[in-house]
Amino acid sequence: MSNAIQKTVAEPEASSIHFRGHTFLPLLSGGLFWEAEDTLLVADLHLEKMSSFARSGQLLPPYDTGATLKQLACDLAETGAARVICLGDSFHRDEATNTLSTDNKNRLAEMIAGRDWLWLAGNHDPAPHTLDGACRPEIMIENLTLSHEPNREIAGLVCGHLHPAARVHINARSVRRPCFVHDERLMMLPAYGVSTGSLNILSKAFDGLFDRAALQVTMIGRERLYPVSAKRLVGG
Amino acid sequence: MSELPDKIQGWFSGRGWQMRDHQRRVLKATSAGHSALLIAPTGAGKTLAGFLPTLAHLATQNHKGMHTLYISPLKALAVDVARNLTDPIGEMNLDIGVETRTGDTPSNRRQRQRYDPPNILLTTPEQLALLISHPDAHRMFGSLRHLVLDELHALVTSKRGELLSLGISRLARLAPQIQITALSATIARPDLLRDWIAAPVAPQTTELLEMAGGARPEVSILASKDRLPWAGHSANYAIPDLYEIIKNHGTSLLFVNTRSQAEMLFQALWAANEDDLSIALHHGSLDVAQRRRVESAMTRGDLRAVVCTSTLDLGIDWGDVDLVIQIGAPKGASRMLQRIGRANHTLDAPSKALFVPSNRFEVLECEAALEAVHKGVQDSEDPVEGGMDVLAQHVLGMACAKEFEADELFGEIITAWPYRKLTKNHFGRVLDFVATGGYALKAYERYAKLRRTGEGRWRIANARIARQYRLNVGTIIAEPMVRVRLTRSMEKRPGRQSTPRGGRVLGEMEEYFFSQMRVGDTFLFGGETLSFQGMRENEAYVARASAKDPKIPSYMGGKFPLSTYLAERVRAILASPDEWQKLPGQVREWLSLQRDISVLPGRNNLLVETFPRADKSYLVCYPFEGRLAHQTMGMLLTRRLERLRARPLGFVASDYALTIWGLGDMSMMIANGRLSLDELFSEEMLGDDLEEWLDESSLMRRTFRNCAMIAGLIERRHPGKEKTGRQITMSSDLIYDVLYAHEPDHILIEATRRDASRGLLDIGRLGECLRRIRRNIVHKPLLRISPLAVPLMLEIGKEPIFGEGRESAMAEAADELIREAMGS
Repeated sequence: MSNAIQKTVAEPEASSIHFRGHTFLPLLSGGLFWEAEDTLLVADLHLEKMSSFARSGQLLPPYDTGATLKQLACDLAETGAARVICLGDSFHRDEATNTLSTDNKNRLAEMIAGRDWLWLAGNHDPAPHTLDGACRPEIMIENLTLSHEPNREIAGLVCGHLHPAARVHINARSVRRPCFVHDERLMMLPAYGVSTGSLNILSKAFDGLFDRAALQVTMIGRERLYPVSAKRLVGG
Repeated sequence: MSELPDKIQGWFSGRGWQMRDHQRRVLKATSAGHSALLIAPTGAGKTLAGFLPTLAHLATQNHKGMHTLYISPLKALAVDVARNLTDPIGEMNLDIGVETRTGDTPSNRRQRQRYDPPNILLTTPEQLALLISHPDAHRMFGSLRHLVLDELHALVTSKRGELLSLGISRLARLAPQIQITALSATIARPDLLRDWIAAPVAPQTTELLEMAGGARPEVSILASKDRLPWAGHSANYAIPDLYEIIKNHGTSLLFVNTRSQAEMLFQALWAANEDDLSIALHHGSLDVAQRRRVESAMTRGDLRAVVCTSTLDLGIDWGDVDLVIQIGAPKGASRMLQRIGRANHTLDAPSKALFVPSNRFEVLECEAALEAVHKGVQDSEDPVEGGMDVLAQHVLGMACAKEFEADELFGEIITAWPYRKLTKNHFGRVLDFVATGGYALKAYERYAKLRRTGEGRWRIANARIARQYRLNVGTIIAEPMVRVRLTRSMEKRPGRQSTPRGGRVLGEMEEYFFSQMRVGDTFLFGGETLSFQGMRENEAYVARASAKDPKIPSYMGGKFPLSTYLAERVRAILASPDEWQKLPGQVREWLSLQRDISVLPGRNNLLVETFPRADKSYLVCYPFEGRLAHQTMGMLLTRRLERLRARPLGFVASDYALTIWGLGDMSMMIANGRLSLDELFSEEMLGDDLEEWLDESSLMRRTFRNCAMIAGLIERRHPGKEKTGRQITMSSDLIYDVLYAHEPDHILIEATRRDASRGLLDIGRLGECLRRIRRNIVHKPLLRISPLAVPLMLEIGKEPIFGEGRESAMAEAADELIREAMGS
């Protein structure tokens, strides 16, 4: 996490993602920069996840929101994106927009100011809220649809929701990391929030979503991104 | 009053018995107003000794309320002791109420026990923690005179002992008059255990009463005519011998180190069981009802043999055991003495035991253990220092009981021996943690669990917090487990896709075991070959299978490391060929071959061999410091070798040795000076390399999960909604990552680091080893594998290989993709 903050953008030529005629730059943070549109895409921030447990008596480390926002600020500084689209589950609960600390509220307002900012609805935060920026269920840009949940029916969908991760196994070593994953129809972003878990793309939840033969996987390393051979993927 | 009241004296004489010397000494110490630690071997009548002062007192005087509290590490033991106490009390015609209190006690009786306690209450450390967290604890315990701690040696080396010590510090305040009688098996440092007991009842005198061991046990090592395996842990070669031995003895207890060994041995014995002898299986994963059936059959004397794990180390006298057989590595001398004590009919007859090594290295370890048992050497672990996670749990419990003054509670806590060195600063941080999470970022004042009263005292914020505390009390954190349920095979019902349901529960197994399984995979459990049929929520469905060669749970090495004492003796035997006379011929040949082809490891040096094999280069070293320390060493050496461009690929560790392999030619690198073994094995590896590795290590996350649950950061159970083990594991990893990244000095990270370095990492032992071998490394470059290296090389592929988390795996998978794209 902290390493990723120091170096946000990897060598573009090595790891660009091509999807339905567009070129995207995946970031070490899990964000996706769409240079042609000057837009930064992020999915599943899950802000205020830790603090949402406090009411039930579990006082978890309250650092996740601050850390996620700091990461976002770094990505914005690096890319200079004029537009930000959050692909849903930006807040861990609908009510979370009220529990933001003053510091975090200010941090967020500063980023939103002067930018075109879109909050797409997620299953964790379905209701529109009153923070700056616009709330929408989904949006279409060019030939792409952006929304929270995957849907194989829509060709050219960019989404989040499942927190994809991959495990590669090669020469008796294995490593598991969050990843970007896409085929001809669907592209899914890893979860951006620092308090989010992940799900192996070979697990049941992904059944039927992707065309295995056309699967493209870009794993997030410590200092660079790794487009990996799909035949090296294993479960777990 | 060291003489017995008439009723009790009469009971003794009526049976033609008299008080034993140690029972008299305990009685004498108690009547002098002292506490006592009684150290005696199994079968000496220790438990009665613990209760005689109570019986003597209650026989002559009326006592209202609770007189004696008895605490045992096992629920079953408390129940058994209650039975063994109720009978003599009836026969002595005494009017003394005896009751147990465990998790199984019905809630109406538990309620009643709080306002109308029995004279003698028998319970566990967890129940004590619960009882003292009630606001009326002073009423229940105010009249307490006597505290009996059974099998204390087994508690003080764990977090359960830390919690117990804190409970006793509270008891000693609720009932300042209490005297303690602690009972322990023979241990290495009785003085430390005496201090442990004395601390909370100071300035009362605590006597150390050591009872000489009974007859010296008769122990031997199995001399088999069959070929001793190089490696492995199955002891299959010994089955014909073992079967004959079982046939020639009344009842035998066969101890093994792991559940999977128990399963394999049980299976193999039944395959040889032509006479249909009653041979049973007992381990912690089997269904409780099944275990109880085995135990009662054992007590009735119906069984000829029981294959068991450490679950039968402690506790109830299972009837007449004629022979104890230890299969596989003994690990420690004290542990062996306690197990051997299981075969004690009477104190004066020697117990009989047999060691069965399952491979050649274990022959050396068995030899060392045999010698230690004969000499009566003790190598048990010392009592542990107190952890902050357990303290946090206790502090919350004390707030549930009653509002408190911080200084006053601090003063009470440092009377617990494990916490005698606690600083005010640490106590303050723990208090802060309990109240609001202890974060530098003050985010939770609103949700505080503890609040200050107007007078500056601490109290719980609301009643729900007390309820939650009571649901999470205790320090035993189970691995996430799933129930194993028997069903019919899916293969017999073609066309049915749904997961099967129903069927009998066979027991529980670790969830991770099934996470690696595919439908149809076979394994041994409960003495049967089963095939995996599917998972649903917290249950794994299995069907009976006929496969001959099941996919067996991998050997996880058991949780006990090889003791330092035995390790030293093994090195000594290896280094002195004079001592080899007592070893079997096959082992002597093996060692001679090693001497001719390579070098023998010395008593105090470290032998490092390097040799090529297939297209890789191997480095094997023989520290004999136990598997955990070797694993840590393997992790750190791999990092260092990677930096030196030796391109290591993985390693495997056993209790005796460690081997690392890689693509770089390590023999050559050492020869031309690019790799210095003195530098490679320098203590510096415990500095930055260790820190860096801990940053990434999943061991820290696993340890954190336990600390966080004990400390109450993560709930174990919620009223009404049980979380599954998997969910807790996931979120505790994330919590650890966020906390470690943003507040690495947090009290729970500190607690995690301490637990990891003394537990899974065994840093202390590794450090001692590195100091011992400094500038004392013997390098032997070889052209091929050495005889001593063979056992470990055979483990490659069976033991987990460590290469986890290395980015190079991703880089290679990425290169491969590029090659694919280039069409090469």
